[in-house]
Amino acid sequence: MKFLSRLLLFISVALLVGFGLTYLALEKGGLFGTLRIGPWVAWKEIGSPNPDPYTRAYAAISSGLEMARAEGIKFTAKQDSDGNVLVRNCSYRIDGTTPESAFWTLAAIDYNGASITRLGADIVMHSSRINRDEDGSFAINVGPILASGNWLETVGTGNFQLVLNLYDSTVFSGFGLQDDALPAIILEGCNE
Amino acid sequence: MSRIVLWSLGGIVLGVVLHLVAILSMPTFVTRSVWSKVLELDNFEKIVVLENIEALSSNPLKLDPELLYGVCRLDLANGVGILNAQMPGDFWSISIFDATGRAVYGTTNRSIVGQSLKLGIFNDEQIKLLSDQELDIEEGLLIVESQLNDVFVVLRVAAPYKAVRGRYREQLAKAICGSA
Repeated sequence: MKFLSRLLLFISVALLVGFGLTYLALEKGGLFGTLRIGPWVAWKEIGSPNPDPYTRAYAAISSGLEMARAEGIKFTAKQDSDGNVLVRNCSYRIDGTTPESAFWTLAAIDYNGASITRLGADIVMHSSRINRDEDGSFAINVGPILASGNWLETVGTGNFQLVLNLYDSTVFSGFGLQDDALPAIILEGCNE
Repeated sequence: MSRIVLWSLGGIVLGVVLHLVAILSMPTFVTRSVWSKVLELDNFEKIVVLENIEALSSNPLKLDPELLYGVCRLDLANGVGILNAQMPGDFWSISIFDATGRAVYGTTNRSIVGQSLKLGIFNDEQIKLLSDQELDIEEGLLIVESQLNDVFVVLRVAAPYKAVRGRYREQLAKAICGSA
């Protein structure tokens, strides 16, 4: 009986550690192969000729048309800057700057990759089509609540993620990768 | 008590092994890989311009809705892969991936003079013939080497305004992709 209970403990710990680590590595992007800047996460090796095993596993389950490294880099955020999960009935302010790039786009999508913007509204925000402050910084409102200025209007309920694609970017040069190198994601308010 | 700790430690070690096996085997066992999605595009030796991504619709290839995408699949066993395109717009890029999803090549228009893109994709055998000067190639051809024969090419074009998307789409569709 003692042996059986210890064997059960052994198998339970093994499964918990095995699946837990895999979930952390691939879903949360928290172990190896990722670049984290504030709430933003990127798989930095995904478009390189010899990606690490974690990146290869992520690319396999993601199965998207990724960019080669020379083309740019994709950051995603599933949480705001305070660590809370992004939800579609709330509005967020994307506030700050980006590393130098030819241009960038910001999209709001669900966990299956479908855009959650309102039909007929802008489907992405484009770096050359937004209002900016004099110092080049910007604020984009993402959410269902009417906002002035740059507004990416979303609809529906549930969780969502933000995708920031930087094209022809200097990110890989290693310059400007402090936490404020990418914009903060700040909760503004929620619909009831 | 110490035995419970030992069994738990053993479980942790086995868990780490399970994790490593899962990570290493995932590319082999995933059935809906990007290559399988590319195979469904009917784009063998021709450029297929992908449909625009609309709001609230599925986006299986996880494309940026802002860009136009042309995708072409090649088998280098049929000959050297050739891509010849007159690219539109202020920003465009090209990437080449093999069937395992590994990036073979990628660049943007910043590294290429003008809008003309001429590219040859060679396997190891063809590269050897090229170095032995047994293959004639067009002057100015960008040479890319792939270890695998099954590759696909992705052209990305940024349209600055919606009004020009149609024209850019037509121009992208005119790109020649095939083997020689």
